[in-house]
This record gives sequence, C-alpha cells and structure tokens, in this order.
Amino acid sequence: MSAEKRVDLEEKLDRELDRDLQSDGPPPYSAAKGFIVSGAIWLIVGTTWGFIGALEYVAPDLIQNVSWLSFGRVRTAHLNIVAFGFLTATLIGVALYCIPALLRTKLFSERLGVATMWAWNAAVLVGAVTVSMGYTQAREYAELEWPIDVAVLLAFVLILYNMIMTVVFRREKNLYVSVWYFVGAILWTSMVYPLGNVMWHPKTGSMTGTVDAIWLWFYGHNVIGLLFTPLAVGAAYYVIPRVARAPLYSHTLSIIGFWTLGLIYTHIGTHHLMQAPVPLWLKVIAGIDSFLMLIPVFTVLVNLWMTARGHWVNFFGTAAGKFVFAGTIWYAVVCIQGAFHSLNFVQRVTHFNNWVVGHAHIAVFGFAGMIAIGAAYHILPKVCGRKIWSPPLANLQYWLIFLGLWGMFIALTIGGLVQGNSWLNGESVYRVLPQLTMYSALRVMFAIMIIAGALVGAYNILMTVSRGERIEAA
Amino acid sequence: MRARMTPAVLIFGGLIIFWVAFTPVVIVPTYVIPDDPSETWDARTELEQRGREVYIAEGCTYCHSQYIRPQDWGIGADRLAKAGDYHQDAPHLLGSQRTGPDLSQEGGQHTNDWHLAHFMNPRSVRPDSIMPRFEYLGEEDIGALTAYMQSLGGVEADLRMAYQYKVRDDVIAAYEAGPDENIQYLHEQVPPGWRPLPNPYPATDASLSRGEKVYQSFCIGCHGPVGDGMGQASEWLYPPALNFTTIRRNLWEDKYIGGILYYYIMNGVTGSAMPYFKHELESEKIWDVSNYVAKYFIDWDDSNMEPVGVHSARETPGEGENSPPAREVISE
Ligand code: HEC
Ligand code: HEC
Ligand code: HEM
Ligand code: HEM
Repeated sequence: MSAEKRVDLEEKLDRELDRDLQSDGPPPYSAAKGFIVSGAIWLIVGTTWGFIGALEYVAPDLIQNVSWLSFGRVRTAHLNIVAFGFLTATLIGVALYCIPALLRTKLFSERLGVATMWAWNAAVLVGAVTVSMGYTQAREYAELEWPIDVAVLLAFVLILYNMIMTVVFRREKNLYVSVWYFVGAILWTSMVYPLGNVMWHPKTGSMTGTVDAIWLWFYGHNVIGLLFTPLAVGAAYYVIPRVARAPLYSHTLSIIGFWTLGLIYTHIGTHHLMQAPVPLWLKVIAGIDSFLMLIPVFTVLVNLWMTARGHWVNFFGTAAGKFVFAGTIWYAVVCIQGAFHSLNFVQRVTHFNNWVVGHAHIAVFGFAGMIAIGAAYHILPKVCGRKIWSPPLANLQYWLIFLGLWGMFIALTIGGLVQGNSWLNGESVYRVLPQLTMYSALRVMFAIMIIAGALVGAYNILMTVSRGERIEAA
Repeated sequence: MRARMTPAVLIFGGLIIFWVAFTPVVIVPTYVIPDDPSETWDARTELEQRGREVYIAEGCTYCHSQYIRPQDWGIGADRLAKAGDYHQDAPHLLGSQRTGPDLSQEGGQHTNDWHLAHFMNPRSVRPDSIMPRFEYLGEEDIGALTAYMQSLGGVEADLRMAYQYKVRDDVIAAYEAGPDENIQYLHEQVPPGWRPLPNPYPATDASLSRGEKVYQSFCIGCHGPVGDGMGQASEWLYPPALNFTTIRRNLWEDKYIGGILYYYIMNGVTGSAMPYFKHELESEKIWDVSNYVAKYFIDWDDSNMEPVGVHSARETPGEGENSPPAREVISE
C-alpha cells in the first residue's frame, strides 16, 4: 500500500472514529463484551446439560420419557452449547478486543460486530432447541441443520470481514502473532465449516458411505484444530507476555508454530478412524503425522513458557494468569496424550470408551476453555472500563474448575481403561456396565464443582460489567 | 533477518496451506475409494429407512458404533466391517463411542418383541442397562426403529430374520397349546444328548448365590422375581417368558433338567424373545444360574445325579442327597 493511500485511510479512520464517538452507535468493544458475557452464561447451560447427561449414566430412569432430555439429545445439545455458545463465543470476544488493541485502532465496524454477536447467540439458541427436538444430522460437531449452518457460516464470514478490514485500517504496521492466529482461525473455519457440513447437500449434510466418515472427521478434527486451537493459542500469545511483563521469547518459533499448525492439523482427521474401514494409506498418514503435531504444539509452548520464565510470580497473583497458564499445561498434556492414542496398539484399548471423553474434556475445556476464561478476565477491565468485581471469586472459580476437571479426567480415564481392557479380554459391553458405575458417579460429583465454577464465573463477569468499580480514564 | 508477516502473506499463505493439506486427504479419497456394495449389502426398505431417520434424530449413534474391529468379541464379531457395507449411507453412522454394544450385525439377533420391550424399557430385558427409555417415540416409530435394527447386517441379517420368523410360528403354536405342551415341545427341540444330563456342579450355597447374581443381572426382567415369567417385560412379549414352575411336572425322564436349562441359556429359544447368552456367560455361570433356577423355581435339584463320572476334586458337597463321591470316599 502506498504511503499516500495509507494516509488517506488513516484520515478516513479518524473521521469514522469521531463520527462514532458522536453518534449513538455502540461504544468500542461492545461486541467483545457481548460475546464474553453470553459465553459465560452459555457455560452454565452447557455444563448443566453435561451434568444431566452424566447423571443419566448413573440413573437412567431418573428422567423417563422426556424426549428432549433423552441422552442422545442431551449430549448433542451439551456439545453444541459448550463448543459454540461458550468456547467459540468467548474466544471470538477476546479476539475482537485484542485485534484492534494490538493494531492500535478500533474494530472496523462495532455495529456489525454487535449484530454478529446477536446473530451468533440466536444461532446457538435455535441450534440447541432444534437438536433437543430431534432435528439433527447426527454427525458429531456438525449436527446443526442446514438453515442454522447458513447462519453460522454467515457469522464467521462477517467476523472475518470485520477482522480483515480492521487489519487493513491498522495503525501499527507489524502484525503481532495473536493477530495471525485469530485471523487464521476464522479464515480457515470459513472454509472448514461449509466443507465439513457438506453444505451443498442441504438435506443430509453429508457425503455417502465411508467417504462421509472421512469428511466428517476432517471437520470434527479441524473445528478443534483450526478453530478452537488457534483462537486459544492467539489469546495465550496475547495474555502471557502481558501478565509476565516480558517480551515474547522468539519470533522464529512463532512463525514455525503458526504455519505448521495449518499444514499438519488440517490433514490428520483420519486418526479418529484408525480402526474403521477406510484406506490404510490414510491411516498411515494420520498416525505418523499425529506425532508431527508435537511441532506446532511445542514450538508454541516453549515460546510461551520461555517468555514467562523468571516471571512466574506474576502468574500466580491473578486468576487470569493462572487460568491461561493452566491452559498451556493442559495443552501439553492433551497433545502428548493425543499422539500416544493415535498409535494403533493404544487405540485397541482406548478407542470407543471414556478414555476419549476424558481427552476431549481436558482438551476443549482444560486447554481452550481455561485459556478463554483467563483471557476474558484479563481483558474485561479494558473492555468495559471497570475493575474485576471480585478477584477472590475469580480465584475460587479457578480452583473449582481446575480441581473439578482433574477429577473428571481421572475418573473418565480410569473408567475408559476398565472398559477397554475388559472388552479386549472378551467381556461384552453389557457385562462391563456395572464396573463403570463408580466412575460415572465420580464424574457426576466433579461435575457439580465445575457447574459451581461456571455459576461463580458468570456472576463475577455480570457484576464486573454492570457494577465493577470504574477505572479512571488513563 | 526477520520473516515478515504481512496481511497478504497471512491470507494467501493461509489459503494455500489449507488446500495443499486438505486436497490429498479428503478430495482424493472421495474419488479413489470405490463405491461398490459389499457381498452382504442390501438396500433398505422404506420402513427401514424411516427407522434410520429415527436413529439419527434420537442420537443413538453417540452410544452405539456400527463397525467391528479385528480384536472385537461379542455381538456381531463374526464379521469384520468392510467399506462396501456402508454403500449409499448418508450420513454414515459408524459412531465413535461404544457405551452400548456395536449394532452393525444387530439384525436377527433378537426377535421383534424383544426390541419392543427393550425400547419401551431397556431395564425390563437388560436389568443393568443404562440405555434411555424410548416409550415417548410411540408405536409407529418404535416399529420403524425395530425394522431398521433387524436390517443391520444386510443379507446375513435377512437370513437370521427369516429363520427367526420360520421358527416363531412353531413356538407360538406350542405356547398356545398349553403350558405342558409348550414345555414338551421345547424339550423335544433340545439335541438328545443334552436331555438326560444332570447339572454337573452341586447346588452349593456358593453356586446358588452366584446363580442369583446372574439371574438378577440377566433374567429377572423377563422371568420375574419368582420365576413365573411375569417380569416387567411380560406385557410386551409374546410368547411371554417361561413360567419355570410348570417345568416341575415335565422333567426329562422325570428327573433330568440341568442339560436342558444349560442348552437353552447358551443358545436361547430361537423364535422367542429368550436371548442366547453364550457371549456373555461363561460355562460355570450358566451352570450356576441353572442350579438357581432349578432349586428355587422348579423346586427340583438334579445336580450330582447319575451319571456323575469322576468328580473334580475341588467340589464341595451340595445340600441334596447327591453329594460328590470324592467326599464320601474321604469320609469313609
Ligand atoms: C446412553 C447411551 C445409549 C443410547 C442413547 C442408546 N443406547 Fe442402545 N444400548 C445402550 C446400552 C448401554 C446397551 C446395552 C444394554 C442393553 O441391551 O440395554 C444398549 C443396547 C442396545 C441394543 C441391544 C443390542 C443387543 O443385541 O444386545 C439395541 C438394539 C439398541 N441398544 C438400540 C438403540 C437405539 C435404536 C437407540 C436410539 C433410539 C439407542 N440404542 C440409544 C446404550 C444406549
Ligand atoms: C427377553 C426376555 C428373557 C430373558 C432376559 C430371559 N429369558 Fe428365558 N425365556 C424367555 C422366553 C420368551 C422363553 C421361551 C418361552 C416359550 O417359548 O414359551 C424363555 C425360555 C427359557 C428357558 C427354557 C426352559 C425350558 O425348560 O424349556 C430357560 C431355561 C430360560 N428361559 C432361562 C433363562 C435364564 C437363566 C435367563 C437369564 C440368564 C433368561 N432365561 C433370560 C424370555 C427371557
Ligand atoms: C459439568 C461439566 C461437564 C459434564 C458433566 C460433561 C459431561 C459430558 C458427557 C456426559 C458427555 C458425553 C460423553 C459420552 O458420549 O459418553 C460429554 C461430551 C463432551 N463434552 Fe462435556 N461435560 C461437561 C463440561 C464440558 C465443557 C465445559 C466442555 C467444553 C468446553 C465439554 C466438552 C465436551 C465435548 C467436546 C464432548 C464430546 C466428547 C467426545 O465425543 O468424545 N464438556 N460431556
Ligand atoms: C496435537 C495433538 C493431538 C492429537 C495427536 C490428538 C489426537 C486425537 C485422537 C487420535 C483422537 C481420537 C481418539 C479415538 O477416538 O480413539 C482424539 C479425539 C479428540 N480430540 Fe484430540 N488430539 C490432539 C489434541 C487435541 C486438542 C488440542 C483438542 C481440543 C482443543 C482435542 C480434542 C479432541 C476431541 C474433542 C476428541 C474427541 C472426538 C470425538 O470422538 O468426539 N485434541 N484426539
């Protein structure tokens, strides 16, 4: 872009800024605030639904013949609410604050941002209600019916547009790593979502035969790999140097981590189908390259940890720091575990049972979710110009979730090993059910801690945005 | 020198890297995987297709897988999954959880009335089950779902079903002929070698208490707490579960019953809801539950009756007149 053009743009931006400040349009960061607050509320609903599902493992007759609370529907609603209502929304909220803040500008269109936020929440709500009514395509993570898919896709495209235009009108020349990850995540997801949902087949939302399984697990894997992961990593890249009050350790590691993520994550979806009837060469690629995933993961983690090194105290002082730091630890755990259970001789035991559910929870909640909550706490004072209502409550929330999740992970992992080993030994699925009860009951107990954490968090966030002590304009 | 990340590098780089990684592992397989049906593939009828839609709507796929792996045992483990089994399936329902058993070969494993009872209240036929009740679906959807279940396994399932239907008429006719006639019919279907066979394990307290455990986890919902066939499931089964108390006057040669019980528990009563338990109960458990049924419901214990052969040294004496010879030798 020529210097002349840039000056023009900056002038245009200034004019817009003035206009915005004078007009009655939404104040800066309204969209970010909306996403974060709604995410905190969805977390309560989502974990409650998870709790109902977990309870049905222990007491299947507690809820009888209430169609929308039948396990198959509860689980689908749980997953869509936590994944899209809580996680994606919170992280997008964080991104919509970080991008303009990092580029020393404001969001290209706050009005559009707010509109997207409402559309997003409407889509999540309609999605949760429709899957509870049995309108689902029954493809994991791609359950929502076509009209909702259209709304979600539209929301992603609008967010992408808003982000890219913000980048175009930036005042800071350099793009910081977080910006790459945020833009990359939404750019990739704008392709992954329609492809994975096979949106050109509106009726079934699927391909046919085993080919459909390959498409689905390309999608299921990359909702995680190209949406949750880069958003969470971007947020960690933002928060960690700020909490540590130290510059980022290495630019080169950032570059390697980013590009290898896009290259490797995208093509290993078949590791979800290691024992299914799909071609061997695909399994070989997926299995081997699951180990290559350690590159994008550990370049990022080394970079972040080296940044934090020597400044650990700063992390333990704030809930935000603790949440994000714990998230990075879970990231390491999840990905070592992930590579391990991509191996065929491990899958013989771990596939099809609670082991994978344990992995899923420490991944989506422990890694991405913890970082989302921490980053939200970190930026909230700047987003709404108020101090966090109660740091001790944030701390309490941290311990409730941290311990609850550990407990749940351990219970699920042991339960999964019991199932997997018994099956391998020739026990029928039915015979193993009584052995599982204890671990399912433990999960219900730990779930109560997590729900309590979600309640405390939502209360704290709502109080912060409405009653928090105002920070005097610096 | 620092590699610069400009917006153009970010966007175009992002696009290129995505398509480079995506194309070989998703687009290519779409075209190179042959789309041929396997030798057991079978087109679904309209009703079966309707049942599949209910299966999708209810999220059965989150608890049930539909493919068999080499290391699997149990239901359906007779046939490894092949890609061609899923010809024309849209969406696929391979599943990623096995909270309940694999269903890829479910067709013909059970009769339709078993499925009805199981969908109305899974605990009525499977006391330890954690599957939800599906009574709310109503008769029509449950019928469609059952048709879909019975189609799983393709041509092989059709063969199993054809056999179930064929025997079913005889089973019902026998049931309708009266309780004694029914039992005589059932006993005549047992291979001759099994009939004059007493339970080789003495009905010790230990055996009976193991038998009770098995009975409560596997049988009680149909045969009922007192063995009269009036368990919770009876309202949906036809013929209903056998009333064990009527066996007392129909013992084989007026004394044997162990072998017959064993045979039916192992193989089930084809054509009726009585399932086979050979995948789930090891030999000793079957003998134990036979002892339990014999002792408490039939009120006749044939364990240790002649022919006894050489007893295993570990057997302790039962309560009946027939204690193991080894003990008698020692006590002499
Ligand atoms: C909470 C998870 C869960 C859900 C949801 C579920 N099932 Fe099950 N299913 C089980 C379990 C556990 C068993 C094993 C115990 C039993 O037989 O009830 C089972 C057993 C079965 C069996 C018997 C298999 C056999 O031959 O022993 C069939 C058939 C079946 N389910 C069909 C369905 C259908 C159809 C649906 C959806 C309408 C469904 N299940 C939903 C958990 C579930
Ligand atoms: C789903 C219901 C069901 C379950 C569960 C069930 N049964 Fe049955 N059982 C039946 C039915 C139905 C019959 C045959 C009735 C007929 O043909 O009149 C039967 C018949 C039998 C017979 C044949 C008896 C004879 O003398 O001919 C035996 C033995 C038996 N059951 C034992 C058991 C045992 C032991 C268990 C548990 C391990 C069990 N059943 C579980 C329904 C069930
Ligand atoms: C109170 C806390 C929670 C409970 C009790 C809970 C319970 C459950 C249950 C019962 C399932 C179904 C597992 C199965 O099919 O066997 C599930 C699946 C799942 N949950 Fe949760 N959940 C909780 C919180 C969360 C949170 C906060 C997240 C994400 C942010 C999450 C993400 C997921 C995912 C991704 C799956 C799918 C797992 C898979 O397919 O293997 N859960 N959860
Ligand atoms: C980079 C390292 C990782 C590897 C190699 C890996 C590998 C795997 C594999 C092989 C499975 C399938 C297990 C099975 O079905 O037997 C799986 C499941 C899963 N993984 Fe990971 N994983 C990694 C990181 C992550 C991360 C970072 C997340 C989340 C943010 C995540 C979320 C999940 C979820 C939700 C599932 C469950 C899918 C389902 O069945 O519904 N994983 N992972």
